[in-house]
Amino acid sequence: MNQIVSTRNLSKRYGNVFSVNEVNLSVCEGDIYGFLGPNGAGKTTTLKMLLGLVRPTGGKVKIFGKELEANRRYILQNIGSLIESPSNYEHLTGLENMRVVQRLRDVPDKNVTEALKMVRLEKQKDKKVAQYSLGMKQRLGIAMAMLSFPKLLILDEPTNGLDPAGIGEMRELIKSLPQRYGMTILLSSHLLSEIEQMATSVGIIHNGTMLFQGSMEKLQARSRPAIRIKTQDHAMARELLASRGFFPKVQEDSLLLENITDSQVAQVNRDLVAADIDVLRIEEQTRSLESIFLDLTGKGNSL
Amino acid sequence: MLQQCISAEWIKLRRSYLWIVMMSLPLVSVCIGCANFAMNQGVLKNEWYSLWSQVSLFYGEFFFPILIAICSAYLCRLEHANRNWNMIMTAPVSVGSLFIAKVAVISVLLLLVQGFFFILYVAGGMLIGLQADLPPELPGWLFRGWIAAVAIGVLQLALSVRIRSFAAPVGIGLCMTFLGLGMYVMNLGLIFPHSLLTAGMGVLSQEGLGLGSSFLFYVMNLLYIVVISAGVMYRMRSTDVVS
Repeated sequence: MNQIVSTRNLSKRYGNVFSVNEVNLSVCEGDIYGFLGPNGAGKTTTLKMLLGLVRPTGGKVKIFGKELEANRRYILQNIGSLIESPSNYEHLTGLENMRVVQRLRDVPDKNVTEALKMVRLEKQKDKKVAQYSLGMKQRLGIAMAMLSFPKLLILDEPTNGLDPAGIGEMRELIKSLPQRYGMTILLSSHLLSEIEQMATSVGIIHNGTMLFQGSMEKLQARSRPAIRIKTQDHAMARELLASRGFFPKVQEDSLLLENITDSQVAQVNRDLVAADIDVLRIEEQTRSLESIFLDLTGKGNSL
Repeated sequence: MLQQCISAEWIKLRRSYLWIVMMSLPLVSVCIGCANFAMNQGVLKNEWYSLWSQVSLFYGEFFFPILIAICSAYLCRLEHANRNWNMIMTAPVSVGSLFIAKVAVISVLLLLVQGFFFILYVAGGMLIGLQADLPPELPGWLFRGWIAAVAIGVLQLALSVRIRSFAAPVGIGLCMTFLGLGMYVMNLGLIFPHSLLTAGMGVLSQEGLGLGSSFLFYVMNLLYIVVISAGVMYRMRSTDVVS
């Protein structure tokens, strides 16, 4: 597949601290790439380096197969972006803000109308942005980013400040963009659930280092199921299982068996019942992406 | 590309209250100047020339440099607010044209201010009842004042692009005004932007610059405009956008 964004050992050092350390990002055409990491992991710095807002201290950025340094204007022409909180001129109306971007990007009027319609701001377009709610400002920011209907859309925490209905709406909008306009989307978030519902590919960054990169399926495949068995008598059950060569983890009031086949489960069940230990529950426990993510980034760091 | 940037800058100026500053400061200078002239007619006998010496003193030495500093700070505050640097620095235009657009806009604004100041000066003189013809040097004073104002504008823009605060560059501008006055008095008037304004507008001496000094005047202004602009553009290109 066609690589839209690729970085090689991209690094940014502030003093002695690497804010981004040798990141190899790879976003393919038509992807919705979710860039995931706790606050301060280096997401925004990485995205800023892709846009030339921050200069890397090491490594290279290639976008649309071209070096960023040498092809800045061509590349920016084909990228729309919303970095950190939305940019706007508060003393102007929503429409006038769109006009500023329209002038800078030299696009026709119909783009302005369409972009405003997509984020449902056409009724509020003549209101001053100072009177907008946070969610409306965010939607305006996204409309400004989409104005030129670029090949690549970079959105930093796009659902920030939106209410639940707004988040759902924005999610549907973002998901529809690749098919409708052939866009590739690179979005960042610190919320796994959000990425899970939108992204086709995932990159997980923590303390400036990329911990995982691949398709959503690949990440989900990491959630190997385990079998949880709950019995009347814990201690005896463990002894019995140990004599059969199983060493379950004790989890609260049950035993957890990993890497176990269906026939082995049946056998264990039979043995327990035969030994007069009542089996109360046998259930499959899939690890949520949340716990995989926490495993990857370390539990000490809350999201 | 530059045209795109300039036209975007004009949109940003809509609904702003900058025009109040642009009109009130020249008005205040002319009012003070006229009042001073009217009260001291015993010493100030040279009609329009005397009026100019009073009016341009308050305008050129104080209110105009402040006005330039405020306009420059305003143009940059637009970008410092709401992380707008992120937006304009990711627009597909060269970094240079973004800055030159601001220089172009401030030049036009300052030209308008000079025009307004001219109207106020003439109106003030007529109200006082001056009979003589307008001084033939007047267009020269106004034009050279504008050229020097643009140089100061570029300097102030450079400060305001760098400093996020609105007041600090204006304060620095005020200090430079006094420094400029000092340098003018020490006959170093042609090497400092604020003294160039004093010299160009014939504030303290109406004798005119003479051919050699006049040439130096234009060269120095051009030098300030070009060198400072180049420095700012280099810096914008080579440092990270902080927003």
